[in-house]
Amino acid sequence: MSGAAATRAEALGAALPPLVVAAERVAATVMQGVHGRRRAGTGDAFWQFRPFVPGDPSSRVDWRQSARSDRLFVRETEWEAAQTVALWREPGETMRWRSHLSAATKRERAELLLLALAALLLRGGERVRLLPSPDRRAFAGRGALPALAESLARHDAAPADAAIPRHARVVLFGDFLAPLEEVSRTVAALAARPVRGHLVQVLDPAEETLPYAGRVRFEGLAAPRTGEEPVLVPRVEGVRALYAERLAQHRAGLMAIAAGVGWGFAVHHTDQPPEAALLALWLALAPQG
Amino acid sequence: MLSLGPVAFAAPWLLLALPALPLLWWLLRVTPPAPRRQVFPPIRLLRDLPAVEQTPARTPWWLLALRILAAALVVLGLARPVLGPGAGTGVAAGAAPLLVVVDDGWAAAPDWPARMAAAAAAVERAGREGRRAALLATAPAETGAPPAVSALMPAEELRARLAALRPKPWAPDRAAALAALRRFREAHPGGFESLFVTDGVEHAPAGAPEGFAPLAAALAEAGPLTVARAEGRPVRRLAPPSAEADRLGVTVQQIPIAADAEAAVLARTGDGRVLARAAVPIAAGAAEGRAALELPLEIRNQVVRLELDEPAGAAGVVLLDERFRRRPVGLVAGGEGTADAPLIGELFYLDRALAPFTEIRRGALDQILARRVAVLVLADRTVPEGPERERLERFVREGGTLVRFAGPRLAERPDPLLPVALRAGERQLGGALSWEQPQRLAAFPDHSPFAGLPVPEEVTVERQVLAEPAPRLAERSWARLADGTPLVTADARGAGRIVLFHVTANAEWSNLPLSGLFVEMLRRIVALSAGVAGVEGEQPLAPLETLDGFGRLGPAPPAAAALPANRIEAIAASPRHPPGWYGTPAQEGEATYRRALNLTAGLPPLRAAPPPAGAALLPIGGLPAERDLGPWLLAAAFLLLALDMLVSLGLRGLLSAPRRAAARAGAAVLLLALLAPAAPVQAQRVPGGPEPEGAAALATRLAYVATGDAAVDEIVRSGLVGLSDYVNRRTAAALAEPVAVVPGRDDLAFYPLLYWAVTPDAPQPDARAVEALNAFMRHGGIILFDTRSEGSGEGFAPGARAALRRVTRDLAIPPLAPVPEDHVLRRAFYLLSELPGRFAGGTVWVAREVDRANDSVSPVIVGGHDWAGAWAIDSRGNNPYAAIPGGARQRTLAYRFGVNLVMYALTGNYKGDQVHVPAILERLGN
Repeated sequence: MSGAAATRAEALGAALPPLVVAAERVAATVMQGVHGRRRAGTGDAFWQFRPFVPGDPSSRVDWRQSARSDRLFVRETEWEAAQTVALWREPGETMRWRSHLSAATKRERAELLLLALAALLLRGGERVRLLPSPDRRAFAGRGALPALAESLARHDAAPADAAIPRHARVVLFGDFLAPLEEVSRTVAALAARPVRGHLVQVLDPAEETLPYAGRVRFEGLAAPRTGEEPVLVPRVEGVRALYAERLAQHRAGLMAIAAGVGWGFAVHHTDQPPEAALLALWLALAPQG
Repeated sequence: MLSLGPVAFAAPWLLLALPALPLLWWLLRVTPPAPRRQVFPPIRLLRDLPAVEQTPARTPWWLLALRILAAALVVLGLARPVLGPGAGTGVAAGAAPLLVVVDDGWAAAPDWPARMAAAAAAVERAGREGRRAALLATAPAETGAPPAVSALMPAEELRARLAALRPKPWAPDRAAALAALRRFREAHPGGFESLFVTDGVEHAPAGAPEGFAPLAAALAEAGPLTVARAEGRPVRRLAPPSAEADRLGVTVQQIPIAADAEAAVLARTGDGRVLARAAVPIAAGAAEGRAALELPLEIRNQVVRLELDEPAGAAGVVLLDERFRRRPVGLVAGGEGTADAPLIGELFYLDRALAPFTEIRRGALDQILARRVAVLVLADRTVPEGPERERLERFVREGGTLVRFAGPRLAERPDPLLPVALRAGERQLGGALSWEQPQRLAAFPDHSPFAGLPVPEEVTVERQVLAEPAPRLAERSWARLADGTPLVTADARGAGRIVLFHVTANAEWSNLPLSGLFVEMLRRIVALSAGVAGVEGEQPLAPLETLDGFGRLGPAPPAAAALPANRIEAIAASPRHPPGWYGTPAQEGEATYRRALNLTAGLPPLRAAPPPAGAALLPIGGLPAERDLGPWLLAAAFLLLALDMLVSLGLRGLLSAPRRAAARAGAAVLLLALLAPAAPVQAQRVPGGPEPEGAAALATRLAYVATGDAAVDEIVRSGLVGLSDYVNRRTAAALAEPVAVVPGRDDLAFYPLLYWAVTPDAPQPDARAVEALNAFMRHGGIILFDTRSEGSGEGFAPGARAALRRVTRDLAIPPLAPVPEDHVLRRAFYLLSELPGRFAGGTVWVAREVDRANDSVSPVIVGGHDWAGAWAIDSRGNNPYAAIPGGARQRTLAYRFGVNLVMYALTGNYKGDQVHVPAILERLGN
């Protein structure tokens, strides 16, 4: 390991605690109430007594309950299956941008939402992992959030992971401004595992409304690296409606992709409070089963 | 040259660029304004948008018109348009060379710009017509070179020479100019046209052959002559004034005109302030007018310059030098420490009395005698035998005047440097143990220099030193008391004189120093003294500062030479001796000595020079000259381009709303900044605001230094409240509520005592605070420093002693000693053997009694007994802080110390007399 890498890690680590704290704060506003599988299974919580049927191992007989009557009872606990939730945040350069209308970049907001969701999930006993988990590691327990945050800071990969458990849940945060075919391919690959999931499109308000005027030369974020051609718009007011139409078309395509595989889709703007988005996301994830 | 009606173009070929303007139109039409750059991630969605509304990207037609107008203005401006070509030059069109003759002597300075404009217009015109021109200035140049005709050159090149011409502070030499013209005619025999810009004054001295007429005739002979001269205002100059007893007589000379006129003369100080103005009426047809500048002598001494209140150049300025001799006065006091104390210092009244009309020097005797003074005043200063006395004797023998004032020290130790022998001790008139009344002054004897001064009734003398009776005492007495005892005696020694006032120079022995008579007496003595001689004889005086043609002082030109001191009155101004200040530069211990060489002192009487018959006359000034329009057109073009830039920025969206808001906010801040200084002025007038100035002086009160620690401040405040209560109950003193003060911010003069609780973190006071505290102590205030950690309280405030050292580092603390057993502080009201506060057992320090300043009252008391803690009372009248080791006795003693302290601060060592009771009783017994 070079010294520079360690220094960078340290710098990232120094930046993480407030992020984690912010995520915890956001997560605390969401009441945790929906959990448990509501049927007998392996777990710690008492579920029901049922009459002893032959074949049950004698060690499962609840002798205290059985002594109250003539019959033998077996104690059943509720089935508490820990679900694995894989989380992904789009690593692209388009995420590192904010307009004058917003205080946070899309990447910052996506990470905040991701960590807040992770905090909620960890508190609920679920297992959380990043989508391409570098060491196939899943985090569990409430203390795992800082480690997850640290791992997230180093995370920049496409949402593809061969090691993801079947029937796991996936939540993807990003602006999904890439062509629809790319998004569709990614989602299809994941859905084929099969996993179910949720897309959260994080957009800057300026991307929604195009609030510029006059003659403007638009440049891409990656233009210096990729040599992306700038676009000269002679009069931005004139194309605003057209742009809104295109954005709506793009979003409709994303929704169609999500609906096609039975996934959820939500839009979040960086000028809106993250709590609302988190609650909606939580409710969308929870009431299964 | 292209003339279009009233406008002509000097560079018409540039107008060819005008047809190219439509090209600019086309270029601007096809070039849209530069776009704004904006980073935008969803750029993909913006690609391949159908081209809608491309037209607004083009420049609007009115912006195009603006730009083309600006470009047209630039082209027109560069083509050098001239409005009214040839107007007012008075020079006919032709091909002959032009000779411009300019009078550049002193008389040309007042309307110099108009003269230059007239000459420049003629040269300009000649230049446009392609003629050649030459220039002849009639006054000698600064280098002393006689007038000469310049080479014949293209008129454009002559313009720079003309612009470099300046009026000279001396007279033109027309005879030399005529000689130069003859040489020019020999070199260029052809005819030429000439323009003579003349000042209309005959400068040749009376009796000498005239200078103007021959020159004009020679010019007329060579070709057409135009004489340009100023009309409408007479040539005026200011003659050197005549000094009379209490006024300066000023004379304004002018060439007679047919109407009554009035000139004005200003008297200015060295730094340019106007001290007086005198209106000088000049009757019709008169050659001069007189008036008087009435100024008191003190003010007159400050006047260094008289000048006409109109543009008159060097001839309107007269410099006043020191025609009367300077008489510097040296002041030496006996006790230097308190000599300047307001109202009681020995030199306080002397300084006030002498400062308005003499130059005062202060310092040690050696320093003052090292320089030259006319009068040396010793206020109660004894002169012990030794080199000092020898130097003083020499000073008097060589013509110095030594003025001495009596006092306790002189009464104890008289020395020989006195006009009369003195009896030992002093005489007291009036007072508690005397039947005699304070004596008034008798009228001054006739032989006294004070003779004739009115003797005010209210001047009385309570104490004086007495002269031993001697045969010549009467004639040595300059002033006597009503009973005949001498008050001021004087005696000549060598070339000098010793004068003795038998009273002090402050109001302690008599109220003479408070009266106006004192000032008059000192003035007579100073006037009687021999002055400090200046430089005389053949000694050269170097030029220090000289006047230029406009009457402004500046460094002397290189050609200026020194002149002998005794001939400065007779020398006329010339390039070698320009008018101005001459003298010896400042040397070690000596101020600059300077004499004035005035232009008008050496000029012949004013005579008019009538223009020759047959010459065309041209009045200068008043006629519209040619006006160059180019700069105005270019400025307008730049304004339009700036406007265009603003509009372009607006079109590109770069002048966004926040920026406009910022601009507005900036303007508001600027406006506030302009208004802010006015606000406090108004605040002072608001009724019911902070206490008016001086309210603190209405009652006696104790004060404490605000430490910044609220708890400590509260303890000290309640302590001083408790002490004030105690003092009010037990004594006749009436103390008001104590106040907190910040040294350097608050005026400390109202408080007799300052309680300073030194906290361990007390900062070092800043320079202003130190100055205020030192002044407070010097003028009789007492500061009590309390470290609150002495004796039984050791360790209560660790670090307070270091803080005390820090706080007092810059203060003028006298040498300290523990409070002696018989110190007044222990006896001022109660008899105390110890001085406890909340703590007891520590040492309390006061100033050692070596200094008799402030009646031996110690300006500081230093201790650590936390007296304020012991005196403190709470709202129910209880003492909230326990005394250590304790007991009601300690508290009582603490209060008694407080009473003694207040008495000490209020009465000084008045109670110290008790200390001497045994000695007094013993003396009475004898």
